[in-house]
Amino acid sequence: MTEVAEKKEKKTRRQREVEKLIRAEDQWEPIGATPMPEIPDLRNWDMRLLKTYAPWYAPFCDLCCFCTYGKCDLTECRRGACGIDIAGQQGRIILLACCMGMSAHAGHARHIIDYLIERHGEDYKIDLGSNVAVEAPHIRTVLGLKPETLGDLRTAIEYVERELIHLVSALHTGQEGSYLDYESKALHAGMLDHVGMEAADIAQIVGFKYPTSVADTPLAGLGLASIDTAKPMILVIGHNPASSTNVIDYLRQNNLYDKIEVGGICCTALETTRYSDSAKVIGPLSRQLYYVRTGMADVIMTDEQCIRTDIVEEAKKVGSALIATSDKACYGLEDATEKDIDEIVRQIVEEGKQFLILDHAKAGEVAVKVALKLAPQRKKVLISESEAQELAKVCRECEICERVCPNLFSIGHGIRQVGQGNFEPLRQLFDQCIGCGKCEEECPRHIPIFKIMQAAASKDTFKVRVGRGPIMDTEIRNVGAPIVLGTIPGVVAFVGCSNLPDIDDVVEMAEEFAKRKYIVVLSGCAAMVAGMKKDADGLTIYERYPGNFDAGGVVNVGSCVANAHITGAAMKIANIFATLPLRGNYEVIADYILNRVGAVGVAWGAYSQKAASIATGCNRLGIPVLLGPHSSKYRRLYLSKKGEDDWRVMDGRKAEVVDTGEPSPEHLLYVTETKEKAMVMISKLCIRKNDTPQGRGIKLNHYISLYKKYMGGGLPDDLHLYVRTDRDLPIVYKKEAMAYLKEVGWKPKPVLSLPTLIGTYPSKVPLEAVIH
Amino acid sequence: MKEDMMVLPTHRVNVLTGIKSAKVIEDASEYAALIRRAKRPLLVLGPKLAEISLDGKLLLEYALEIAKVVNIPLCATSHIKGKMVELGAKPDSEYDVVEIINHLKSPAWQGVRKEGNHDLVIFFGIRTDIGNQGLSTLKHFAPHLKTMTLCKYVYPHADYSLPNFRKDAQWKEFLEKLISSLKEEK
Repeated sequence: MTEVAEKKEKKTRRQREVEKLIRAEDQWEPIGATPMPEIPDLRNWDMRLLKTYAPWYAPFCDLCCFCTYGKCDLTECRRGACGIDIAGQQGRIILLACCMGMSAHAGHARHIIDYLIERHGEDYKIDLGSNVAVEAPHIRTVLGLKPETLGDLRTAIEYVERELIHLVSALHTGQEGSYLDYESKALHAGMLDHVGMEAADIAQIVGFKYPTSVADTPLAGLGLASIDTAKPMILVIGHNPASSTNVIDYLRQNNLYDKIEVGGICCTALETTRYSDSAKVIGPLSRQLYYVRTGMADVIMTDEQCIRTDIVEEAKKVGSALIATSDKACYGLEDATEKDIDEIVRQIVEEGKQFLILDHAKAGEVAVKVALKLAPQRKKVLISESEAQELAKVCRECEICERVCPNLFSIGHGIRQVGQGNFEPLRQLFDQCIGCGKCEEECPRHIPIFKIMQAAASKDTFKVRVGRGPIMDTEIRNVGAPIVLGTIPGVVAFVGCSNLPDIDDVVEMAEEFAKRKYIVVLSGCAAMVAGMKKDADGLTIYERYPGNFDAGGVVNVGSCVANAHITGAAMKIANIFATLPLRGNYEVIADYILNRVGAVGVAWGAYSQKAASIATGCNRLGIPVLLGPHSSKYRRLYLSKKGEDDWRVMDGRKAEVVDTGEPSPEHLLYVTETKEKAMVMISKLCIRKNDTPQGRGIKLNHYISLYKKYMGGGLPDDLHLYVRTDRDLPIVYKKEAMAYLKEVGWKPKPVLSLPTLIGTYPSKVPLEAVIH
Repeated sequence: MKEDMMVLPTHRVNVLTGIKSAKVIEDASEYAALIRRAKRPLLVLGPKLAEISLDGKLLLEYALEIAKVVNIPLCATSHIKGKMVELGAKPDSEYDVVEIINHLKSPAWQGVRKEGNHDLVIFFGIRTDIGNQGLSTLKHFAPHLKTMTLCKYVYPHADYSLPNFRKDAQWKEFLEKLISSLKEEK
């Protein structure tokens, strides 16, 4: 066989395999150009994005320390022993971070799908309710598969796993060399992440019967004080609900539902409130160490991701029992999975032992039994203000705590003030603190800073709306046209961790945009902290705004893995409103979102590698993401140079290339230093080339008014770039804006119809594919 | 030689693991001379300038005084422009810190006054984390320019940095001496 014939045969084999997996004979939609894409299949799309939004790198380190040829100094254009340069090394680190983040979600997905298949069988039907016909936009778009059962979700995750091997292998010494190709691979990892997240959450929704197709989900208790300390308490930490749902099941089956408190930190908390109306959310990751050290939990049960890795020691210090339940986080504990339940309980209660239990039902039963036995033996009281004052008097304000604080907070000053009876400075610090515990670790006088914080922390309780899962198709039908035309000014999604620089920032930003009739969507810890502020009437943002996906709605989709529903909603707009087929049609859908759907992601706080992959997945799909200042430590942004870059697009209807000169969206991944600037930037990043004059007028109205409100008056100095005709100008600023446009020599520009990048770069996708 | 070496930042976050680190300078007149020698310096102003006062004088006032003495163009980042306007000043440009750095990376960029790219960029009042990351970008990708900071702590990725001042009084003294040195050289 000739080489050419062999290649052809190989391709045909792959096509045959893909067609079998995605059931190509099912004719629900035509199959697009890239079903189950491999790394090179969307590379041209990536390169087109990276041409406008060039990677901006901020290395942590001058060196590459990955292999034993080095360490290699990469400063001043030096190359490593393998030939890599500093840009390539940064791209490599980004790909590594995205693979780690994506694997965390995909690992969760793989576990929960296998677990639920064992419970319900692989033919268990996916049913997300009568209002969700497009059940899995990511799986449909990326794989070309319409999943009908849990077994189909496993097919999706197996595809993710296969691609992951190729991505991780590219990280090895002597493989990929170009930073742009590392970025293309990182974008691939980000896309896979959303597939994994979607598979995980769909499995959870159907397997655990979470709410779906409901906007008005219940309000769950939130905050440190939401727990009834008179009852035994189980604290669940992590992201995977397999164990916490078993705790609830055991409580229900044994008539203990009202007798034990179940509270959570991080996404498991949100997952548990989707399963139980009596579960509570303690708070985000930043509250983990603080809350564990209060000793309020009789039992701590961990699953996976975002758990303090010193949880074993921390639990021991305060006499809380600890049960680990995930193979990904075993903490060196003895595996008691095969042991007798009563014996495990005895050893925990009488000998203070800690165990790994990989049988979730057994772990749930043990947790409850231990909590019931341990609680009466334990004294659980927060320290009083006078006790805190005495402890704080030891402080000599040496400032070592300040120097080790990642945010340089004046903790010593706050502690000294407590010693003098003033709790306010420490109270403010508590709201800004990321809860790392480095201050206490370094204090030369061993002052229990976290304990003192108990006296300063809020004793208030709050409400968070329970995660609702996917956005309904009917909602998409209602908002599709207004979003694409611009009359709903945008969709702003606050995701990820959220407590930095200040825990109030997220709710302030969310409220600003909800009031302005944007659609505000939240998930994970951001969704929690948004509920941690009340207005003068004692109401949280979830009580003041409706939970539907519409202008002015404040929507909590759920945990981290529910992020896929946010990006999925943008895809559904292309499908349901614009009737573009999703199936294996990633490039067309991403291009549509980039040019027509005014959506922006905001990841405000310090966070893990998961945010890197989530954001990168949003970016490949054409959704810009804005980061909080701490996230400059991700080391990479995607920035344009607005006045200088190539902003040409194809006018789809006329099939002509048009130089718009309009930087919309201006950046794909951007970091702001303050919430004030973030709000101005969010409004600008919602601008899209497809906006109608009316829609553009509404978006510019918000951009200008936010600029005036937060930037010190005047007009934005790039306003002229976004004005195509005078009909784009908001009436309220028209006179002032016209004078400015005259001053800068502005000239009218054509308004586009069906703007698209397809046709401006090499692609298998024909221009006709975007015209519907 | 000792004064040429970077001391370990007492705030231990962001400690650089690497080869090339800042020259730490405590002598304000040396800083003044470096600024004077620059042909096209740029002062990048961060939002912390509106939050921090030294004995009742806002950091922004120090910054504006420095810029006035030596006619340095100003780049306002984040929302610092509002406070500048209150104080009767106008920035030459408005870019966030990552945006101005993105432009500075390109030797062909014409600078905020369209007179050519800058040869010395002075950062003042940017958050420590984002500031140090941005300086890393310039260290690696903008060998055509030098960077300098005026903040209280060491910035390892800058070319020239202040030491870690333990007390605000030391910082204040430095800034005042810098201004007087710049005036003297005038």
